[in-house]
Amino acid sequence: MSLDPFRLEVLRHALSGIAEEMSHVVMRAARSPLLREAGDLSSALTDAAGGLVAQGRDIPVHLGVMAFTVGAFLARVPAERLRPGDVWFTNLPELGGNHLPDVKAIRPLFAEGRLLAFAVSLAHWADIGGAWPGSYVAEAREALQEGLRIPPLRLFSAEGPDREKIALVLANTRGPEEREGDMLAQVAATRAAEARFAALCAEHGAATVEAAMAALHDRSEAAMREALAGLPQGVHEGEDWLDDDGPGGAPARIHVRIALEGGEALFDFAGTDAALAGPLNTTPSVAAAAVYYAMKAIAGPEIPPNAGCYRPLRLAIPPGSLLDPPPEKPLVGGNHETSQRVVDAIFRAFAPSIPERLSAGGPTTSGLLIFGGRDAAGAWKTLYEPHGGGEGARSGRHGAAATRVHLTNTNNTPAEVIEAEFPVRIERMALRRGSGGEGRWRGGEGVVRDYRVLAEELSLTTMVERRLVPPWGLAGGQAGAPFRIELHRPDGTVEELRGKENRRLRRGDLVRIMTSGGGGYGPAEG
Amino acid sequence: MSGRWRVGMDMGGTFTDVIALHPEEAPRTAKTPTRADDPVAGIMAALAAVGLAPEEVEELAHGTTRITNALVEGRLAPVALIATAGFEDIVEIGRQSRRDLYRLAVPPKPPAPVPRERRFALPGRLAHDGTELAPLPEGAAEAAAEAALATGAEAIAVCLLHAYANPAHEQAVAARLAGRARHLALSHRINPEAREYERTLTTVLSAAVMPLAADYLAELRAGLPPAVRLSVMHSAGGLARPEEAAARPLAMALSGPAAGVAAAAAVARSLGEPALLTFDMGGTTTDVALVLEGRPEVTADARLADHPLRQPMVAIESIGAGGGSLVRLGPAGLSIGPQSAGADPGPACYGRGGREPTVCDAHAALGYLNPRRRLGGRIALDPEAARAALAPLAARLGLGVVETALGVLRVADATMARALNRITVERGVDGRGAALLAYGGMGPMHAAGLARAYGLARVIVPAASSAFSALGCVAAETSALRQRTLRLDAAGFDAEAFAAARAALAAEAAAALPAGPAGPRIEEVALMRYRGQSQPLETPLPPGRCDGAALAAALRARHLAVFGFALGEAWEVLGLRVTARLPRTPPPPPPAEALGPPEPFAVDPCWFAPGPPTPTPRYARAALAPPHRIAGPAVIEDEWSTILVPEGWAATPEAHGHLRLEPGA
Repeated sequence: MSLDPFRLEVLRHALSGIAEEMSHVVMRAARSPLLREAGDLSSALTDAAGGLVAQGRDIPVHLGVMAFTVGAFLARVPAERLRPGDVWFTNLPELGGNHLPDVKAIRPLFAEGRLLAFAVSLAHWADIGGAWPGSYVAEAREALQEGLRIPPLRLFSAEGPDREKIALVLANTRGPEEREGDMLAQVAATRAAEARFAALCAEHGAATVEAAMAALHDRSEAAMREALAGLPQGVHEGEDWLDDDGPGGAPARIHVRIALEGGEALFDFAGTDAALAGPLNTTPSVAAAAVYYAMKAIAGPEIPPNAGCYRPLRLAIPPGSLLDPPPEKPLVGGNHETSQRVVDAIFRAFAPSIPERLSAGGPTTSGLLIFGGRDAAGAWKTLYEPHGGGEGARSGRHGAAATRVHLTNTNNTPAEVIEAEFPVRIERMALRRGSGGEGRWRGGEGVVRDYRVLAEELSLTTMVERRLVPPWGLAGGQAGAPFRIELHRPDGTVEELRGKENRRLRRGDLVRIMTSGGGGYGPAEG
Repeated sequence: MSGRWRVGMDMGGTFTDVIALHPEEAPRTAKTPTRADDPVAGIMAALAAVGLAPEEVEELAHGTTRITNALVEGRLAPVALIATAGFEDIVEIGRQSRRDLYRLAVPPKPPAPVPRERRFALPGRLAHDGTELAPLPEGAAEAAAEAALATGAEAIAVCLLHAYANPAHEQAVAARLAGRARHLALSHRINPEAREYERTLTTVLSAAVMPLAADYLAELRAGLPPAVRLSVMHSAGGLARPEEAAARPLAMALSGPAAGVAAAAAVARSLGEPALLTFDMGGTTTDVALVLEGRPEVTADARLADHPLRQPMVAIESIGAGGGSLVRLGPAGLSIGPQSAGADPGPACYGRGGREPTVCDAHAALGYLNPRRRLGGRIALDPEAARAALAPLAARLGLGVVETALGVLRVADATMARALNRITVERGVDGRGAALLAYGGMGPMHAAGLARAYGLARVIVPAASSAFSALGCVAAETSALRQRTLRLDAAGFDAEAFAAARAALAAEAAAALPAGPAGPRIEEVALMRYRGQSQPLETPLPPGRCDGAALAAALRARHLAVFGFALGEAWEVLGLRVTARLPRTPPPPPPAEALGPPEPFAVDPCWFAPGPPTPTPRYARAALAPPHRIAGPAVIEDEWSTILVPEGWAATPEAHGHLRLEPGA
């Protein structure tokens, strides 16, 4: 069977449909609360070499990352060792990964007797062990404090589950029963993909499906080249700053020099600070995901995202920098904090030349509060609360209030759900009036949310950026109000909390988070 | 004395389809313009078009896009909102996620349906189990009510935290508003389910369309003879009394599409099809839905015009690809829709100036559409214009026009197969065992191709496929659905509380139905999950009393069926949905006319593969009757649609007037 342009479209729909179906299975069957209200998961199909072909429900940072996971996995586990029915698990950041809680299930897909593709299901487990419930150890100074590191492990094969290995993984997490549910949901998703993919190969022939995957890559590459050629050519430099290095030291710099020429772009991160003491480091895969997101958003939102898009984008990252740290460095927060800083740096690099195609600075942080505690039966429960804020304004419109921007898109969790399941009461969920940056177009407003502690004791982790360095204004607009986190004790004392810390809370404490307003666009009129 | 005609009307934005049934007479159908300005006049005109005076009508059941259009166009009545203190902004905050991941240049968010100055805080606080944490302070309800009334808003919405578990505070406010607010929407009545943003929005939007719904239904009632039994299609595919529809106007938001699915469900019941996928392909969109055991599958989390609408609605997957959708080659490859040639100029083959190729043009270029016919009696079809529109695309692809047209149809099928996949996979159903029921202007022409692409074994083109939604109104059962949050878990499962909640909800649903000679049939679904899971599974409840073991077994069976695994561990009930229905005896099929073997009225060249065309016979649908089969390739035409029977398929007329298409000569 030949690959005419129509068969290519038919296969594109079918491959995307498979990835969508995988996400659907995980979303519905998994157990971690983050997967449910927040939708912190992604699914992908790759070709036999690990090149991303199709994706399901998106978290942009995941999908960028998953473009590298299978390739790095294959460097550790030669393809000859893979068998039909295998499902391998890994979470190593250095294997095209991001951080330990994002566990990937990788199933090789065979047709006509050979390896043709991989189905990958990524899910954020609510706990992966480590020094603190929820596995966000704000005060971690080394990677081993952040939780269980899973090098590629075959946990399922055609013979069934490998119970001893699974038990080892589960024994190192809080809430093993929930984690087993997550694991089985990921296996079920890849199993669905296997069945659909086999049917596709039976119908069209393995060689045709293979050719279609290659053609989809080529097409996205061409589209990305064209989009890059439409941007101002030459060198664009920009930088942005993390609030601190984790423990509360000086702000940390991300610098990028973008050279655009002939439909290609080089992103050189020389000038970026060295690896940090705290968990704000990240991996080259995450940096690449951020670059990829930024270019797609600025230049070509309609380009189908797959490995072909990456071909014209090159990254130069100084080894030992916070974007390519030594393996012993902690990095749990870098996935959604530092990645967003990279996007900000790229946007700021383009701000002088094409402000009308950008948005001003927004809540480029997970704005994460994690509450942990034991329930009446002694089981660990984690409440994972990411917070949006005001979107940065654009030329022609104000920023939206209370939203997520750029690399993340998780929902909030309703008070009526939280209160039924976790010993906190949400006493306020309001807009933070006046928090948007002034300008010709105003930044959106952030939110104020109050959490009252109802248990004797809870743990709290903050993982919040944009608390000191505010969302930037664009083209003469003002910055938005930064995040602020307050701990109100029953005795009336109020303490401002840092953006990365672990605290013990007592009954009656109230944690208030005020999220950032968006940056404004253009000078405010008269 | 009252008449004996039963009339169904599907009142769309532009046209009203009408069908009239009588026990002793042949059905009558017509299409008339919808009168948005004067619905009674529109109904009278539609009745006249089928030769009826109002006095001859026993029952008038209709679907309407009035509420839908008001929501989509933002024509909402001013509302004042009373909310729990600290949560007045929830209508503006929403769930904080965005719709478009990569596009920055999205249009601004629509303004909140209640502006800040009409949102009022009420102190007092309930817990998730209904316990009162802080009582309503003296005078607080009064003050909030006065403030809301002082805005002069036509409708007042009240949504307090955890009111689904304890309505006392909402009722206290309602007592202050009774007789003073013209329209009042209470969240524990409208949508007694957890998740404050969705419940608040649903309550506010209900309030915002209450004036429109009430005036409209009152106008109809006053304009029709009292003996005419009037009912309205609700979004879950059943009929409701007008008073019921006025009290819950959002239940009419999907009235139009639900009517088509209701008709499909009636066909499924009459043919005994256990699983049926509906395929309604129009000019700009295609809707698909799933009908299991003769009942439409329902969802409680629908969206309309970017608002959550938490009301039980027929689960419809809608995609922006229809007959008039433009075929374009862009960076994402070959796409079909969502841009459409619209009604004007329409597809190129309409010969009214359309230059870009559409799906309809691909059919025309391949010879499937009859060039001698006038579409809708007016538009002469121009296959040459269709080929000309496809030619530039074909040239860019380096292919002939025929290959291109065939390819466009394959891509359209793949697009639609994805919609079929979504609607089935979400429900843990393998859609490949289902029959495909095709209607809408383009459905019957596409159906066999789609069935082949998706692996379905048969297609049904129903009788009266043009007035199908109107037929749905007269064929639908009267039903009422109620869904509420009810949190119970395996540990210390309280069978008494569960039984009491079931009984109360069933009584409420039954009370919404008109009194009938036979009592309603009650179906109950528990929304269940294993602890920690996100969305509950709709788990059908066995009749009678349920203990914990029975619920555990029901969840286990359902989880296995949907996900292929189940865990023997802590489960919980999150909610209950009860459906009460008054079964309707379907009218007996009209006796099939005995006709001889059909003769084609024409033989035209059609292309089913690249190369020379195949001489293809055309038949008039009216000339077909059992037991004569038509072997493909063939084209069958009725007044409104063209049915394509591909090579290797055959069409068989059924006793009910439906046409069955399946592979095999």
